Formats: sequence, structure tokens, C-alpha cells
Amino acid sequence: MNWLDSTVHRALVEAVLVGALGGVVGVFVIARRLPFFTMALTHATFPGIVVAALLGVNLYLGGGLFGLLVVAAVLVFGRGRGQDFTTATGIALSGGFALGVVLVSAQDGFTKDLAAYTVGDVLAVGTGDLVATTAVAAGVLLLLALVGKELLLAAFDPVGAAALGLPTVLLDFALLAVVEVTVVATVPALGTILAVALIVGPAATARLLTDRLAPLFPLAAAIGVACALAGVWVSTQWNVATGASIALFVGLVFGAVFLGTAVRGRVRRAAAVRA
Amino acid sequence: MSERAPTLVLDRASVAYGDVPVLEELDGVVHEGEAVALIGPNGAGKSTLIKALLGLVPVVRGRIEVLGRPPAQARRDVAYVPQADTLDPDFPVSVEQVVMMGRYRRIGWLRRPSAADRAEVADALERVGLAGRARDRFGTLSGGQRQRVLLARAIAAKPRMLLLDEPFNGVDAVSQHALLEAIGSLKAQGASVVVSTHDLAIAHLACDEVCLLNRHQFGFGPTGDVLTPERLRATYGGHALELRGDRVIVTQT
Repeated sequence: MNWLDSTVHRALVEAVLVGALGGVVGVFVIARRLPFFTMALTHATFPGIVVAALLGVNLYLGGGLFGLLVVAAVLVFGRGRGQDFTTATGIALSGGFALGVVLVSAQDGFTKDLAAYTVGDVLAVGTGDLVATTAVAAGVLLLLALVGKELLLAAFDPVGAAALGLPTVLLDFALLAVVEVTVVATVPALGTILAVALIVGPAATARLLTDRLAPLFPLAAAIGVACALAGVWVSTQWNVATGASIALFVGLVFGAVFLGTAVRGRVRRAAAVRA
Repeated sequence: MSERAPTLVLDRASVAYGDVPVLEELDGVVHEGEAVALIGPNGAGKSTLIKALLGLVPVVRGRIEVLGRPPAQARRDVAYVPQADTLDPDFPVSVEQVVMMGRYRRIGWLRRPSAADRAEVADALERVGLAGRARDRFGTLSGGQRQRVLLARAIAAKPRMLLLDEPFNGVDAVSQHALLEAIGSLKAQGASVVVSTHDLAIAHLACDEVCLLNRHQFGFGPTGDVLTPERLRATYGGHALELRGDRVIVTQT
């Protein structure tokens, strides 16, 4: 019997993959202040999944393609007169999710099936999901390794990047597309609504622990993996929702580290005052 | 001066964002090793002119030539220094990582910095007096120090032309001195410098020429000739006050 034939084993592998992927991509999401955009993407991919289900094609392909459309729309609208990126993102979030809900409500007997995609179920992932997540993780890591320094510059100083002659629109699109495929790859495990937890939480937690860019990536990945594994373990032990368990762990770890670093900061300041 | 090669030529140049004209009818020439100060009130179009020199805002009429080429084709030899406070101080990036960004163009896509690049970064930080802060996070430095880091980034790019957008705003005296020293040594090496500033004293100190701007050009030429009370009053409208006949205070910048 293949090791991956076990539901729990598949869940553990998926947890490791999405935890690491979300952590690494999250470093850029936090540095570029894109958590709201990520949140919007998780909702805006929803209609793509519904349409794919109606057409009987691969759900993640549907979600992924629709998400790319949303990314392009946000980039175009955000450049319009008197608009900004956050406004365009807000419209994409509500508009996309509303379209998904309308599509679902028009289909009797469909609702229950699709509920799984709003909250996810890592215990239900198949080998195909694992292959897809592995491919996304490999592609994202390769892209970050190849153009990481250009993405860094475009994120830190967009005008400076343009002044160097870098194609900033293309780099923006690449980064948003990376976030988008990460969201889509995370959806089977956490669902469209909770996927944002693994992308924003571990990187935000790591950011509390270090100011340096290089250690942020492994640290965020490790926190993501640990939270995902802990979530799977809790949900199999007590038979509670897996995606929600993972998201809860992410929140708890962030809260604990936040309190810990705040207390440590106070102790240090007090010591500095005494000295 | 006249035997030096011209590095910047403005020839009846007008610059516009889309269909909104920002600057009209600019004329002037800057040569190798010269510095020109862009002076004018907020909204005068100083930053827009700098962006036009980078080829990021289009020239709609007339001509701008940078190092003998259209601006967008000269970027390889031009370094841009933004205002430090336009950059996110929380960004997890170290001082040496910021300076290394000046080398990206030479390093090229898909490649990593070499030992020679790291040596250039160390040298550039030395020249702005921040060699000891290389490993610190960018955002932990003072405003003036961050501005020096951004100048070091430009120095590391080995530019023939340096564009600085309000580098002296809110900068302490030590950093102002360090910035002026570094700009002076770049000029001595033959680089041209374009610097926008509100500070007339600094324009006198650091620059050979002045371009007075407020949507139109109110003067372009040697600092002593152009920075006259009459021209400043014309540039700043009602916000320039005269003191004792020959000095001018700009009350709103």
C-alpha cells in the first residue's frame, strides 16, 4: 500500500506544502502591505470555482484563471484617474464574491458541494491536489530565486525601480500572480475564506521576530508548517474542522509572539532606563 | 566651462502627465561636472522635471536630451535619489541591501551580486560616512542618514548624472554636510548633478546653476545671476518677502 493512500498522510504532506508556501509568499505580502489584496483574492477566486464546477472542469484551474483576471483588473483600475490600489481591491473583493454567491444561489442542490471550497478540508485532498500544490510551490520558489532582487526593489522603491529601467508593471503583475496562485493552491486545505490565514499570519509572526529579510523566509515557512501540522493533528484528534483549526493556530501563535515580544520590549526599555 | 561636454539639454521642452501640462517651454544646458538647482514652490513641477529626465514622464513638445540621448535611453548612466521619507521605514531591508540596489542594473537579471559589487557598496557607504551602519535596518536610521544611504545607492551605480529630489528636506546638519561633500566629490569626478530644493542657501553652496520653476521657467543660469529678488518674487508670487533690499525670504515653500 502506498504511503500516500492514507487520508491523514496526504493531509500532512499538503499541510507542510501550503504552510511553507504561504509563509514564503507571505513575506512579500507583508513587506508590500498586500494582506487586504490577498483577502480580496481569496474571495474573488470563488466565482471562478463555481463556474468551473458548472462547466465540469478542474475547479482550481477555474479559480486560478478567474483570479488572474481579477489581478489584471485591479492593476488596470488602480491606475485610473482618482483611483488607488486599495479601492480597486475592495471592489474586486465584493464584486467577485457576490458573483460567486449569485451563481451558487441560481443552482439548486449545488450549495453543499461548494461549501467545502469556502472553508476547505485538508483531509479530503487527493493526490492531484498534492501534485498541483507541489508544482505551484516549485514554480513560486524558482521565480523568487530568479527575480527576487528585482521584486524586492520594485516593492521597496517603485519609482527607483522604474528609474533603473525595470519593467515595474510586469514585476507588479508577477508578484500579484504569485500571491494569486498561492491562494488557489491553498484553497483545498483551508478554503477560499481561510486561505489568507496561512499567507498573512506566519510572515507577520516572523516579522515580529526579525528585521532581516533573509531569515524571514525560512522562519515564516517554519511557522506556517508548524501551524498547518498542528491544525491537522487537532482536527484528527477531536474531529473538528481542519482549515479552521489551522487558521486558529496561526492566530494563536501570532498573538503569543506579539505578547512575548511586547513584554520583552518593555523589560528591555525598563532595563535601559535603570542603566 | 565651455569646452566641457553638455550632459543635459532642455530645448523648448514641455512635459505633461497625460493631457495635463505640468511644465512648459524649458530651456537650458548643463555640462559635465556642473550642478544645477531646481528651485520653486510646491507643485511647481520640480519632481515632474526629474521624472521627465528619467524618461518616466513624457516630453510632449520640444526636446530633452540626457547624455546625448532621449531620457529613457540614458537610464543606465543616470542615478535617481528619491526623498527618503517616501520609502516605507518598516520595510525589512538592511542599509547594505538598499545600497546594493544601485548595482542591480550592472549585475543584471537572474544574477547575484559579486565580491566586486559588495566592495562598491562598502565604498559608497564609506563616502557618505555610514560604513558602520551597513547591517542595520534601513528604517532604524534617522531621516538624514536614510537620505545618505540613498545617495550611497546612487554612488554605487557609478552614474554620469545624478538626480536628487529634495534631498535636504528635514535633514540634520551633519547629514547635510555629508550629502554636500559626497555630491561635491561626484562633481569633481565629472558627474552632472540635478537637485531640487527649497533651500536657497544650499543652492548657492552646492550648485553652479539655478533653474527657477513654477510651471514655467523663471530663469536658468549661473546661481549668482538668477537668484535675484525680482526673479524669486516672480517665481513664488506673493510668498516672497524682501528684506533690506537685496535679500528675499520665501515664506511658503
